[in-house]
Amino acid sequence: MAILEVNNIRKTFDKTEVLRGISFSLEKGSALSIIGSSGSGKTTLLRCLNFLERPDEGTISVNGELLFDVADPTTQRESEIRKKRLHFGLVFQSFNLFPQYTALENVMLAKELLAKEQPDYKSRKKEVHAQIEAQARALLADMDLSGRVDHYPHQLSGGQQQRVAIARALALQPDILCFDEPTSALDPELTREVLRVIRGLADQHTTMVIVTHEMSFARDVSDQVIFMDDGSIVEQGTPDAVFNCPTQERTKRFLESFSQ
Amino acid sequence: MKKILALLLAAMMVFALCACGGSDSSSPAGDLDAVKAAGKLVVGITDFEPMDYQNADGEWVGFDADLAALFAESLGVDVEFIEIDWDNKILELNNKSIDCIWNGMTLTDEVTAAASCSKPYMRNAQVIVIPAADADQYADVESMSGLTFAVEAGSAGEAAVAELGYTATPVSTQANALMEVAADTSDAAVIDLLMAYAMTGEGTGYADLTYTFSLNEEEYGVAFRQGSDLTDALNSYFAAAYADGTMDSLAETYGLAGSVIAQ
Amino acid sequence: MELFQQQLPIVLHSLNVGFLQTLRLFAITLIGAIPLGLLIAFGSMSRFKPLSLVMRFIVWVVRGTPLMIQLLIIFYFPGLVLGNNVWGSGEAGRFLASAIAFIVNYACYFSEIYRGGIQSVPVGQQEAGLVLGMTRGQIFFRVTLLQVIKRIVPPMSNEIITLVKDTSLARIIALQEIIWAGQSFLKGSQGISGAIWPLFFTAIYYLVFTGVLTVLLTGLEKKLGYFR
Repeated sequence: MAILEVNNIRKTFDKTEVLRGISFSLEKGSALSIIGSSGSGKTTLLRCLNFLERPDEGTISVNGELLFDVADPTTQRESEIRKKRLHFGLVFQSFNLFPQYTALENVMLAKELLAKEQPDYKSRKKEVHAQIEAQARALLADMDLSGRVDHYPHQLSGGQQQRVAIARALALQPDILCFDEPTSALDPELTREVLRVIRGLADQHTTMVIVTHEMSFARDVSDQVIFMDDGSIVEQGTPDAVFNCPTQERTKRFLESFSQ
Repeated sequence: MKKILALLLAAMMVFALCACGGSDSSSPAGDLDAVKAAGKLVVGITDFEPMDYQNADGEWVGFDADLAALFAESLGVDVEFIEIDWDNKILELNNKSIDCIWNGMTLTDEVTAAASCSKPYMRNAQVIVIPAADADQYADVESMSGLTFAVEAGSAGEAAVAELGYTATPVSTQANALMEVAADTSDAAVIDLLMAYAMTGEGTGYADLTYTFSLNEEEYGVAFRQGSDLTDALNSYFAAAYADGTMDSLAETYGLAGSVIAQ
Repeated sequence: MELFQQQLPIVLHSLNVGFLQTLRLFAITLIGAIPLGLLIAFGSMSRFKPLSLVMRFIVWVVRGTPLMIQLLIIFYFPGLVLGNNVWGSGEAGRFLASAIAFIVNYACYFSEIYRGGIQSVPVGQQEAGLVLGMTRGQIFFRVTLLQVIKRIVPPMSNEIITLVKDTSLARIIALQEIIWAGQSFLKGSQGISGAIWPLFFTAIYYLVFTGVLTVLLTGLEKKLGYFR
């Protein structure tokens, strides 16, 4: 069964239809890349999945559980949306690390706040804290940042900041990890180190949705590719199918503009 | 646009304030009863030696302070002195934060129009203050026609200089007028005789200044709210205090002998 | 010189009394205006239109008119227009009226600084908190607040230094703060008249006080310099 099912998502901003009925599904452990020119609606789609935007129409299900349904207001309560968000992790284009916290604290903060809501937190405070810290250190080590745990964001390069942001998203063990153009703000050299980390996650079969402009990366890393244009899915399939033998004229034109 | 509106609004508020300041919203005819009921007479003053000033113990003394205390005693109430900003004296009176202004106040047309004033009780003059070193250069007031005069804005001194047609620089206080002369930014100042007496010459802050000719005579009075029945009460008290010599002996105490006006 | 030695203790005593009044007005204004400003800032950013419009109107009027006029209106309006002087005539009422005028005035200035500070924190910070499952309260207190404080410390420092000097405006309703005390010797008080040097001493009181504040506020700014 698919871990993520998105059905007929529509979204309009000020009379402009940004998403015109998006449907797709994603298998557990697979990586989906969404490509398309700017303004095609891919970022808005990602924001809908993370409940940063509220779709005007459609449903979102994870693991067979209906998380969001426009027709059912009980799925839209603020208190529950908070928990539902935890199914997803989101890595932003501009990192959005918290500047007043170190790399380690950035990774630990949300998890600690969640732990505090547990009824037995007070009695197990130290133990829980040690656990969270150990996990955070391990994640940062995975990101090749062992030597940077006590650095503040402004002391880190863009690539390092983005890797901290990935560790921060992973700390909450989301079912699906989303990337919103994770390397667009980075130099080519720094881009490579971030892509290497994402590739590593794909190798470990992390379920991922990646909005990206890195075509060769999308081709290498994903199990499935969606090409979006003007708020609709124009073409989807395996990387091989979409990149090597696109069936739609619009896809061809888009890919050509990149190969030049 | 916003700024213009703000200015307009501010102006309107000030206008409302002034307009209301002139009109009486309660009845001052009952002031005497009100003072008796409150058990105290609240006197608005400034620090003005020798009329109202603090002695070493911090008590208010002076010709006016002592006389005000005696007047309160005659009414059977206590006296309370409140220092006010002299510019706002009429506001303070109408605001009822004070019952009277009793502070060597010259009876000008402005004051008599805005408040109910007692009969004059003391004479004062506006005198010209110049550096002592220059004093013998001048034989009379006319010989000073080329000088610039520092005067307190809105004071009797300003009016006197204007009448002569001499050049005047208005400043905010009489003390500032003196400072202008001391700093040589003005040639002369026109201030109250009493003040000149207290503040210039040997042993004062302005040892190098002296006062010369007087420009016009003026009289001191006490101001109450318009229509107040305290004015009559004070006039009768003045008559009694003059008759039994109280006022003359107070004048003696504070070096003002000969200035008291017969009641 | 001997005269100066005689006068100095008298002047210093007066200046100390006046300075204490200045200090009281300064302290109570900060204590009142810092939280009130936050309420006004939240009000003016409220999504409930009538509330935000009313708040913005109040801020506009208070910031658009001189504090001196506000002092005059607050102190004299009840007695002159309403016929009921709620302040009494003594020092306590004058202080209370001054405190209210200063607190409201500075709260409006502070609210604009707060508003600018809150709005200058990138929206991405809040979104990052949301996708990490944080509540709006947690986001405000754990993420946004310190960044806001860091941003508002420099403009707040300016306002606080200005406040020290603005306290002298309360003279207009005869609150006897330090300049009143210093100036009284010019005009004549306690046997000293025509003396301008007490005013120079007054300036030194201000200098020392603003100097101490500058050091404290710069220290706070440095302390927050560990992040950007």
